[in-house]
Amino acid sequence: MVSESSARRYALRDPDVRLMLEVRDDNAAAFEELMLRYQGRLVTVLEHLVHNRDLAEDLTQEVFLRVYRARKTYVPGAKFSTWLFTIANNVACNALRSKSRRREVSLEVRESGPFGARPLEGMVLASSGQLPARQLDKTEMRDIVRLALKALNERQRMAVLLSKFEGMSYADIAETMDLTPQAIKSLLSRARVNLREVLEPYIEHGDHPVPKNDAGH
Amino acid sequence: MAHEPANPDPTANQGSLEEQLVAYLDGELDDRSNRRIEELLATDSEARDTLERLEGTWDLLDNLDRAHVDEVFTKSTLEMVAVAASEDVEQEKSEAPRRRRRWSLAVSAGMLGACAAGFLAVWLFRAKPNDQLLEDLPVLERLDQYRQIDDVEFLELLLRSQEELFPEEVGDES
Repeated sequence: MVSESSARRYALRDPDVRLMLEVRDDNAAAFEELMLRYQGRLVTVLEHLVHNRDLAEDLTQEVFLRVYRARKTYVPGAKFSTWLFTIANNVACNALRSKSRRREVSLEVRESGPFGARPLEGMVLASSGQLPARQLDKTEMRDIVRLALKALNERQRMAVLLSKFEGMSYADIAETMDLTPQAIKSLLSRARVNLREVLEPYIEHGDHPVPKNDAGH
Repeated sequence: MAHEPANPDPTANQGSLEEQLVAYLDGELDDRSNRRIEELLATDSEARDTLERLEGTWDLLDNLDRAHVDEVFTKSTLEMVAVAASEDVEQEKSEAPRRRRRWSLAVSAGMLGACAAGFLAVWLFRAKPNDQLLEDLPVLERLDQYRQIDDVEFLELLLRSQEELFPEEVGDES
C-alpha cells in the first residue's frame, strides 16, 4: 500500500510519473509521449534478453498494452521506469518460459564469424591461446559481446541489461526483479565475472597481435 | 573512530572481493566501504588488476546495439491500444444493464433497510413516554388531592396522624 505522501513525492520528482497520472485521466497524448520516450529503451533491453528483434517488439507492445489497461489503478509507488520495467520483466519471463516449453532454439550462427559454427567453443579455445589472435572489427566485437551475454542465465542477463542500459541502481533493479538489493549485488557480481571470463581474451589480445611467447597471462 | 583491522588478504574470499569491486564500480557502496576498497586498491596490485578487468568487460557492453524504432512501430502500437480501448468500451456497454439492475437492487435494499431502522427507532422512542406514564399513574389518579398539599413532609405527618387516629383504616389499606 503506497502512502499519499510517497505518491506525491514520486509525482513531484518524476516527470514520467506525472505523464502516467495524465494517462490515468485518459489523456491520449500523454500515453503517446510515454511510448515515444520508452519504446526504444524497452526494445533494446528485451531484444538483448530474448535475442529476437521481432519478439522484442511484440513484447514491447504487450508492455504498453498492460500499462494502458492498468492506468485506472495506477498509484505512483516507484519511479515510472522501475514500474515499467517490472512489467517488462514479467512479460519477458512469461515469454521465455513459453519459449523453453516450445523448445524453440534461436540459432545465431555466423559461418563467416571468427569461430565458425561454434562461437562459444571458439571463445573457450581462444582463451587457451590455441587460436591466433587478430584484430576484431566492431561488428565481430558486437557479436562476441552478444554471445557472451547469451551465456548468462536470464536473471543475470536482465540485471546486467537494466544496470547497463537503464543505469538503474541496485535498489531499482531489485524492485523490478522482485529480489533484494543484496541478491542483485550478488547476481551482478556473478554476471560480470562470467562476462569477464568469456570476454577476457579479447580484452587481453585487443587490437594488438599477441606475440607467441605471451599466450595468455 | 572504530579500530580498523589490518589490510585484508586480497586472495581470501575472492568472491566477496569481486562483489565489493563490482559494487564499487557501480557506485553502490557506502562511504566506509568505499574508503576500504580504495585503501585496498592503493596497496594491492592484484585487486587493481581485477578491478580493471571487470571495468574493461563492462565497457565492452557498449558495443551492444541500442534499438531504434520507427513511426510504423509507434503507429501499430497505438492502434493496438486503441483497439483494446474500444473492446473495453464495448464490454462496459454490455455490462451496463446488469450493473444498473444490481444498482437498483442495492438501492431498494438500502431503502428497505432505512425504513426498517426508522420504524424501529420510532417504536423504541414511543415506548418510553408510555412507560413513564404508567409509572406515574398512582400519582396521576390522586393528582387533585395532591395539589392541595404543599410539601411531602406534610404528607408524611398526615400519614402518621392517620395511623394514630384511625388505626383500623390504615390496617385495611395495607
